Amino acid sequence: MAEAVSPGGGGAPDEAAVPDEIAVHRHLMRFGEFESLATPTWEERGTTVQAVAGHLGSLWDVPAAPQGDEHATITEKGLPHARASVLNLIAVVLDDAAADRVVRTLMALGVRHPSRAIVLVPEHGANGRPLDARISTHCNDALGGGDRVCYEEVVLFVRGEAAGHLAGIVAPLLIHDLPTHVWWPGDPPFGHPIFDQVVELGDRVLVDTADFTDLAPGMRRIAALRRRSGVGDLNWERLAWWQELTAQFFDAPRFRRYLPNLSRLVIRYAVAPSGAVAGGGRAAGDADETAPGVASPMAQAVLYAGWIATRLGWRRYRTIESLRDGAFVLKLEGKHEMVDLMIRPEETDELRPGELISVRLRSLGETGAGEFIIDRSGDDATVATNADGMTALLRRVPMETPAEAELLSAQLAMDALDPVHTDALRAAGILLASAREPAA
Amino acid sequence: MVTPTAAREPHPHHRLSQPPPNPLREGLRLERIAEPCTMVICGATGDLTERKLGPALYNSLLGGFLPPEFTVVGFARRDLSNEAFREHLLGGINRFSRNRPAKPAIWDSFARGIEYHRGNFDDPGAFVELAKRLDRIDRDRGTAGNRLFYLAVPPGLYPEIVNQLDRAGLATSGRHRMSGSKRGWTRVIVEKPFGYDLDSARTLNREIAEVFEERQVYRIDHYLGKETVQNLSVFRFGNGLFEPIWNRRYIDSVQITVAETVGVEGRGDFYDQTGALRDIVQNHGLQLLAMFAMEPPVEFGPEDLRDEKLKVLRAVKPMPPEEVAANTVRGQYVNGWVEGERMPAYRDEAEVAPDSETETFVALKLAIDSWRWAGVPFYVRTGKALPSRVTEIAVQFRRAPLALFSRAGVSQVDPNVLAIRVQPDEGILLRFGAKVPGQGLQIRTVNMDFRYGSSFAVDSPDAYETLLLDAMIGDASLFTRDDEVERAWTILDPILDAWQSGHGGPLHFYGAGSWGPPAAEELLEREGRAWRKP
Repeated sequence: MAEAVSPGGGGAPDEAAVPDEIAVHRHLMRFGEFESLATPTWEERGTTVQAVAGHLGSLWDVPAAPQGDEHATITEKGLPHARASVLNLIAVVLDDAAADRVVRTLMALGVRHPSRAIVLVPEHGANGRPLDARISTHCNDALGGGDRVCYEEVVLFVRGEAAGHLAGIVAPLLIHDLPTHVWWPGDPPFGHPIFDQVVELGDRVLVDTADFTDLAPGMRRIAALRRRSGVGDLNWERLAWWQELTAQFFDAPRFRRYLPNLSRLVIRYAVAPSGAVAGGGRAAGDADETAPGVASPMAQAVLYAGWIATRLGWRRYRTIESLRDGAFVLKLEGKHEMVDLMIRPEETDELRPGELISVRLRSLGETGAGEFIIDRSGDDATVATNADGMTALLRRVPMETPAEAELLSAQLAMDALDPVHTDALRAAGILLASAREPAA
Repeated sequence: MVTPTAAREPHPHHRLSQPPPNPLREGLRLERIAEPCTMVICGATGDLTERKLGPALYNSLLGGFLPPEFTVVGFARRDLSNEAFREHLLGGINRFSRNRPAKPAIWDSFARGIEYHRGNFDDPGAFVELAKRLDRIDRDRGTAGNRLFYLAVPPGLYPEIVNQLDRAGLATSGRHRMSGSKRGWTRVIVEKPFGYDLDSARTLNREIAEVFEERQVYRIDHYLGKETVQNLSVFRFGNGLFEPIWNRRYIDSVQITVAETVGVEGRGDFYDQTGALRDIVQNHGLQLLAMFAMEPPVEFGPEDLRDEKLKVLRAVKPMPPEEVAANTVRGQYVNGWVEGERMPAYRDEAEVAPDSETETFVALKLAIDSWRWAGVPFYVRTGKALPSRVTEIAVQFRRAPLALFSRAGVSQVDPNVLAIRVQPDEGILLRFGAKVPGQGLQIRTVNMDFRYGSSFAVDSPDAYETLLLDAMIGDASLFTRDDEVERAWTILDPILDAWQSGHGGPLHFYGAGSWGPPAAEELLEREGRAWRKP
């Protein structure tokens, strides 16, 4: 109950439930300022769910085609052609940082946008009108065609008691028969009634484990969350390319036999240069405050380690070097070898805090020595294999930091449980717990 | 998750056995990664390599689809250094790739795996040297003896090249090899046209078959690599709604249109010897027809899929000579206006005979004599210098059995049409009757128009990216099999013969920018139907 609510990790839920309303409004108003705006923004204070639903129903109406037009078109939404709706997205905003992030990310989705997004601002402790609503519609040119992709943003401010009954307010406003994703930007308040309610609304829940201030329990709780279409994690999405490159080392059958004999995994990740990291000491602008994935810079590295550990069946054995300043060393028990897992922060201002800098896997078995390295520098990475007595197989590959909108859109495209992710989260939680134990 | 035995005993005799699958692969996004291999491009200095193959490889690299070991050997006559050949490829990527320009660091690293092999295709020594080079690459770069030969040369050179490959011991896979790596596969990609009639196609197939087994041969028809054509299968077999009505009981007729706005575009010499029937109908036209009409395959694997397509083609009975004139219309464009620009007559094009009889337009009525399609006419048309560039399959359904609204003054409601647009603006359109709002009963036909592009963010891979990757993975689903090619010619040969002998009806003329000669309209009108104007 008493876990942190806001991305900054401050405050108990009851205090945080009354956010700086003006700041949130100011951010969310920006939906109406984008070039993609298709119709004037509709806004009603003290409105009803019925009125909002009614407006959504007539949103795309246009005057009927002139009589006798051979090519008259009946469409659901008055577009020149039918929009095939793909999904609903509910984003929850509890503070102005989240408001800013939601606006920026949703608008950056552009043509990858879900058909309808509902931005929910529950203000439990607030008095006043139970429901304010604002609707804006947007169209973007589709990639490489004459088509337009259109969608709508619905912003709902729900106050007082009504905030305890979100399902009744949101459900009638979703496009029916479509999958619904709930995106919780920031640190989710597990166990808080608002969180539980909102999670119930979606078939799938999207979080960013790098936003979690208390990483280990957060990862465990996310792993335990049961939704029909699973739980998405933007932090997992960040790792996709790293995982792909790692897997490619061992796609070649002759290198696969090194896998069971891996004896060392070293992961380095970026942290802000010292003096800038603690307490937001850097003169941070909006962008820094709300940048995703900085609450726990270690999250990517630990999740990656959890992934490898579960895929290769490594078990916790003992702590060599306890967690301190974002670094730790564990001894794990592999199938054939003992494995040293080292996680190390590296100060840099070239990469966003949390981004992986390098991964080194070493194998020392009967098969001989092998080393598999991914080293990132800027927008690309060097990938090298040093094994089989071969000269290093070396190449450069692109390695760009994806924007949050890209991560979100990739996760929105998924609609299934991902047991590999769940396993990795669980293992990451265990690794972190071990790292907190005293060295043995 | 890990089967330990294979790794525990790394004795030499175990090295040939397949290790367990890569446990890190499980659940990852990219499931289709090419195996380590060397791709040898014969005719590497040509247009195709520059425009299509280089960009396709580069984009596959960016997408993470190429393994680190992947190596390219360009093989051609021209005297080029490795460096000059790399520059040639890079130039093509910077001009034609959907991701361009190439990123220097990425390209430099990729380019280290690109070599140039100079030689004449009629010189056995050049192939012996090539074999040595490939063995060396297998050793140095770990390409595991996997080799993909891309014949980017005119079909006339295929026999020579495959024979040379054979003599140099390069045609066999794995343990049949005389030297070099005893592992790995060998595949060969050939480009259309696959012959110009049944005889020549058989000869070509036989000459290739003397050297390669059919499962090694990948006949590329880039049309089949398009996302849209693959979508046709999903539309049919992924939806329970359409399959039950996909037959003669509900469908009145089917129209397949492959329309181009362009003329011969500098290919006058080639086109004048080819014509629309060979150029488009033999491959794209009949492949679309087969994909549309086939039975659901037992599995979505290459052989099942191609077996089903072949069954459709076998059910298309070749026309008896005396029926060709009634069931076909051939046309040639004269000058006119297309998309606001003047287009000279076909006979005035460069390298076209001034009295050419080559058809630039063809309309056919075909019948599929199968349980599912008996009695349903399939109208196929294609042409150059037509008003719009469009490829679509339109299904006209039977009319409602009773004119229920005739008393209200509505005599006939138009039949429903389902149009599957392949390009451009990929999508599905359904035409149906709706009551005009208000008192009284007026019915008007309206379109329900769905476009993929307005629902999904599409940045589809180029057809060559899909097809090259398929060939590296060994998935031949989207490639044409020898028997399909030959069957297609069996269908078209009688038409070509009848036209040749003058019994197949006259050559009609049509103005550039029109939908073909009036005779094409009559082909449908006399059966109470009309072509769509897509």
